[in-house]
Amino acid sequence: MSRSLDRSLWVVARREFLERVRSKWFLVGTLLGPLAMLAVIFVPALLAGRETAVSVAIVDRGAVAAGDPARELLAKELVAGLSLIGWIGELAPDATEASLLAKVRERKLNGFLVIPEDVLGDGEVIYRGDNGTNAPAMARLAQVVTAVVQRRRGAAAGISDAQVLRMMAPVRVTTQHTTGEAAGASGMATFIIGYVIMFILYLAIILYASNVMRSVVQEKTSRVVELMVAAVKPRALMGGKIAGVGAVGLLQLVVWLGMAVLTLRYRDSLLGLLGVKGTGGVTIPPLSIGEVTVILIYFLLGYFLYAALYAAVGAMVSSEQEAQQAQMPVMALIIVGLACVQIVANDPRGTGAVVLTNLPTSSPLLMPMRYLLGGASAGEVIVSLLLLVVAMAAAVIAAGRIYRVGILMHGKRPGLRELLHWMRR
Amino acid sequence: MNTALELQHVTKRFGSHIAVDDISFRVPTGVVFGVLGPNGAGKSTTLRMINDVLAPDEGRIQLFGALAPGLAAARRIGYLPEERGLYAKMIVLEMVQFMGELRGLTRADARQRAGTWLERLGLGKWAKHRVQDLSKGMQQKVQFATALIHEPELLILDEPWSGLDPINADVLRNIVEEARAAGRTVLFSTHLMEQAEKVCDAVCIIARGRKIVDDSLVDLRRAAAERGRIALEFEDDEGRARAEAGPLADPALVASRAGGGDPTLPALIVELAEGISGNALLAALLKLPVTLRRFEVVTPTLHQIFVDRVGAEGATAEPREAGADENGGPR
Repeated sequence: MSRSLDRSLWVVARREFLERVRSKWFLVGTLLGPLAMLAVIFVPALLAGRETAVSVAIVDRGAVAAGDPARELLAKELVAGLSLIGWIGELAPDATEASLLAKVRERKLNGFLVIPEDVLGDGEVIYRGDNGTNAPAMARLAQVVTAVVQRRRGAAAGISDAQVLRMMAPVRVTTQHTTGEAAGASGMATFIIGYVIMFILYLAIILYASNVMRSVVQEKTSRVVELMVAAVKPRALMGGKIAGVGAVGLLQLVVWLGMAVLTLRYRDSLLGLLGVKGTGGVTIPPLSIGEVTVILIYFLLGYFLYAALYAAVGAMVSSEQEAQQAQMPVMALIIVGLACVQIVANDPRGTGAVVLTNLPTSSPLLMPMRYLLGGASAGEVIVSLLLLVVAMAAAVIAAGRIYRVGILMHGKRPGLRELLHWMRR
Repeated sequence: MNTALELQHVTKRFGSHIAVDDISFRVPTGVVFGVLGPNGAGKSTTLRMINDVLAPDEGRIQLFGALAPGLAAARRIGYLPEERGLYAKMIVLEMVQFMGELRGLTRADARQRAGTWLERLGLGKWAKHRVQDLSKGMQQKVQFATALIHEPELLILDEPWSGLDPINADVLRNIVEEARAAGRTVLFSTHLMEQAEKVCDAVCIIARGRKIVDDSLVDLRRAAAERGRIALEFEDDEGRARAEAGPLADPALVASRAGGGDPTLPALIVELAEGISGNALLAALLKLPVTLRRFEVVTPTLHQIFVDRVGAEGATAEPREAGADENGGPR
């Protein structure tokens, strides 16, 4: 590459970079991304801390018929058990279903629990309430009801409460994710972070690569391209555009990753500032420098690959609308990677994962995840990177040829045969 | 005289359509040179090849003596394309500066010159606005600035007057005159013969991709005047009728004639037959009982020369062939 080509590429790249970084949308997007991330962490914690009491009615069909003290005990224990999970239980032995439904409708009650006569046998306890979609709350309710009924069953069989408790004590089973390292990390947490990184990579690549396409189309529709190709080589124009837009993407990604790392590291103290106790839950393992480097390298190479393809698409079309259609094949390539994420997550060392993380169209999304899950050695990462570099170089050369011919063309979109003809020249 | 630009047997095809067919001409340094022709004649394609936007299929283009079209030559060329576009969201000053940098100026130099040029074109107070905030006329001036910022030795203007308002047309004419005065070379294309006539030193006329003629305007006019064209007006219609039935109908004297019947165009234009002088026709007319009001040797206009050379049918716009689009050519 000659020096003057180098310089004009740099001048074009700087223009593309500054135009984007100076726009309001860049500021908004760069700040909103992390804010959205913060919201994901804080909003549930804040809301969870302020959950309002749930009031429910308890209707025991058995108590009415028998009037026996054991059944009254069951109802009282239910009220006590519900109070442990922050619910207010209120006995309503005589209420009809219709009246209870009316109370739910009028928001005087959140719901009601119906205990069948043979609850100690195989009768079904039914809860109906306006919080029925709240899966964690329903799980807690089921726990309470189960514990109370099991105690009553024990009592009926002459087994003491202490014995029942001992029998029912949960067995402690831990699952950890390891591929040979001594210290294991929580499997769930590792999966979540791998998934989040994959998704950020997908968003960043598709956002910025398609931005290159739009920018090419705009140059064509505004006719400024004629002025440009008289002053610079089409190669430098395309290269500068891809580099400039890529630099914006890299900057944004670094800001986002930096914010993510900081937020995760200081999560509990940040929550503490807001007066919320750390919710424990999953602890997210911090990312190492090596892992961040792998993520950024895959972003850059994946971006270059897709940006070149998108630039070629932009050069082929004459309007934004046409571009939306013409980009579908490129979109499909990247979406295949996204759709296959489960294959890598479920078995990071399996054949499917190996194929997908070596295929250059999906490796930018899936290899960082596989690497984070410990499914790939450094050697495997290097092989996958080499394949990606080769594919990227091929895409840049082919796209450069299509671009050179296409940017001066208006009107009918070329067919596949014509494209091949352009590439041969 | 040095040569700023030379084309030798340049041909460009788009598929089966030959847009430029074996064109050769030479532009000496310091000359204002017009490439004339109807729409679709291949003017823009020729200019694009000189600017290295397109590559010729055959033939050779040489700039400034020994350079082929490319980056090195581009630094010495200023180009105003027919399709005029700017980056709408860019700051005006930075747009001009950007083009200066691409044409080889340093960043600081480009910035300073951009400011100077915008001042000169009366856009000083708009320098910090975005291009999209400017009126169309002001954007045209920004275009001029992008072509001129690096003070090119060769200024290439493709259909420069199309879409210009009268004020900017004057601005452009001044730019061309200044360039000529500074010893620079200007090459432009146009289908407007009146504009070309006002500024050109020399022209190359092309039609349907082929060169018809290239020469200095003075020589073209002299050659055309030798063909002898006379404007005639008569005192009355009877006189005219007598003349038209007599000497004007004699193929030994008059090759062709046109006009005369229309009251808004009273002059009858006749073209003398080869080897016949104006005096011979005048003598023949004066033998008749006619009163002449006007007898004038007409200086041929560029338009007339153009029509003579290309033929009336070649002078009309020619539709561009669809094949040009589909095979990656210019519109």
